Amino acid sequence: MECASFRDQWNATFILAEEDHTLANALRFTLNQDPQVIFCGYSIPHPSDAQVNVRVQTTEKVARDVLKDAGQHLMLRCQHIRGTFDKAVDNFRTKNPPDDHPSQNMDSD
Amino acid sequence: MDPQPEPVSYICGDCGMENTLKPGDVIQCRECGYRILYKKRTRRIIQYEAR
Amino acid sequence: MSDFDSEAMADAGVENPKLPPHLELRRTRVLCKADAPTSTDTVQYSGAYASLGVDNSLRFDDFRNNFRVQVNRISHEDMEFDMVGVDPSIANALRRILLAELPTMAIEKVLIANNTSVVQDEVLAHRLGLIPIKVDPRLFDYLSENDTSNEKNTIVFKLHVRCAERGQRLTATSNELTWLPKGSELLKTSESLTSTSKPETYTSFTCSQDSMPEFAGNPISVYPDIIIAKLGFGQEIELEAHAVKGVGKTHAKWSPVATCWYRMLPEVVLTEEIEGKKAELLKQKCPANVFEIEDLADGRKRATVARPRACTLCRECIRDGDDWEKRVSLRRVKDHFIFTIESTGALPPEVLFTEAVKILEDKCERVISDLS
Repeated sequence: MECASFRDQWNATFILAEEDHTLANALRFTLNQDPQVIFCGYSIPHPSDAQVNVRVQTTEKVARDVLKDAGQHLMLRCQHIRGTFDKAVDNFRTKNPPDDHPSQNMDSD
Repeated sequence: MDPQPEPVSYICGDCGMENTLKPGDVIQCRECGYRILYKKRTRRIIQYEAR
Repeated sequence: MSDFDSEAMADAGVENPKLPPHLELRRTRVLCKADAPTSTDTVQYSGAYASLGVDNSLRFDDFRNNFRVQVNRISHEDMEFDMVGVDPSIANALRRILLAELPTMAIEKVLIANNTSVVQDEVLAHRLGLIPIKVDPRLFDYLSENDTSNEKNTIVFKLHVRCAERGQRLTATSNELTWLPKGSELLKTSESLTSTSKPETYTSFTCSQDSMPEFAGNPISVYPDIIIAKLGFGQEIELEAHAVKGVGKTHAKWSPVATCWYRMLPEVVLTEEIEGKKAELLKQKCPANVFEIEDLADGRKRATVARPRACTLCRECIRDGDDWEKRVSLRRVKDHFIFTIESTGALPPEVLFTEAVKILEDKCERVISDLS
């Protein structure tokens, strides 16, 4: 990942290669909820290039660390989503026992 | 110039019967008399991208 | 990791005050008015309500306490579940990953030896590409440009059909695609044929795929009963199809879902009692049959919202003048998603979703490691 910060470390633009709205929008959302962040936004400079620019402006912590925190936070959320989802599926299965569920033998893990 | 012109197989456009024709033969199906015959395609393998 | 929660809470010291009800409604609901929906955006900025002393920052504990999933239906090829307490940006990321970034196996190369059917070669190849293959893509590697096809990255199918009966039509379906666990059977016609002792085929498998534990007694098949072509008398198709691993953003044939979507939970609120004729009228107006009539003890009739989930937000019920818009409030809950996944058959839908979340986690991890 390239980091372009011209003036200082608190106002930086990060270039994420091979990414699109999928990650950028989720990151922007996470960043915006961090009280350290003054401004955050992202743009895709050209639709043909697989690249997004994420702009982060912060108060105390440097932008780099704030973005890292956001990544960590998003990952934690994902792990929680996965855990909760798996539990909900198990729960559903015990309540509604499958009579003949073809997908069962496909579950390798 | 050419040695011996090989007989070529054709498929009848109507009944689907296989016909073998030599140069000079009447272009007509031996089975049903239909006059549109299609040349059989090559057996050479052609590769396509499934997109 | 650092926790924004504690920092945000440190100076507050007390419990976060609640927003006034009219703002809370706009924060959590989309309001669907007769002309247009309002308050459609989600308020993300942490300091959005700072002037009211309300902290809007991210709290992982809050998320953990509020987030829930409830499964409504699962079958081997589709599922519906409610995902509550999550921002649309995350729900949408997961939807996008399901559509475009989860790998599957699909036919990519078609070697046609003979095709006398009316379906042109390239059309035939394209049709074959779209046939879903019932195999776990996690068992395979990607085939990169300089790789040779081997048993870890390619699945080979053969199709040989011929209509031999006069006056008959033969329908070739995907059932006729037979798996070749030993790899390609077609020989390469090359100039070097004299030099090599063994004739070369289009793949170089080192072992048969059916000797691998994953496929022993569990042959690879494709989605059944898909019509590939119809043959007239004498017509014949003979070909080999090579399937490789790929993702939906390269080509839709690799998408593991037929489709995947979510909608926000509809909420229908009657802001005043609707009785008698008006109640009947309201019930009649709704094409989705959301409302029901309740008989009160004294013989009066009252409208109730019986099936809010059925509401399609057609707004029929609030069309006839301002009165109705005042009586019925149509809303959508911003953080409640009714998520539907329709699998194409490669993996069951619940596995698809967990895999999608893992991919999002991987993306985050890449960001973190790039910044470390």
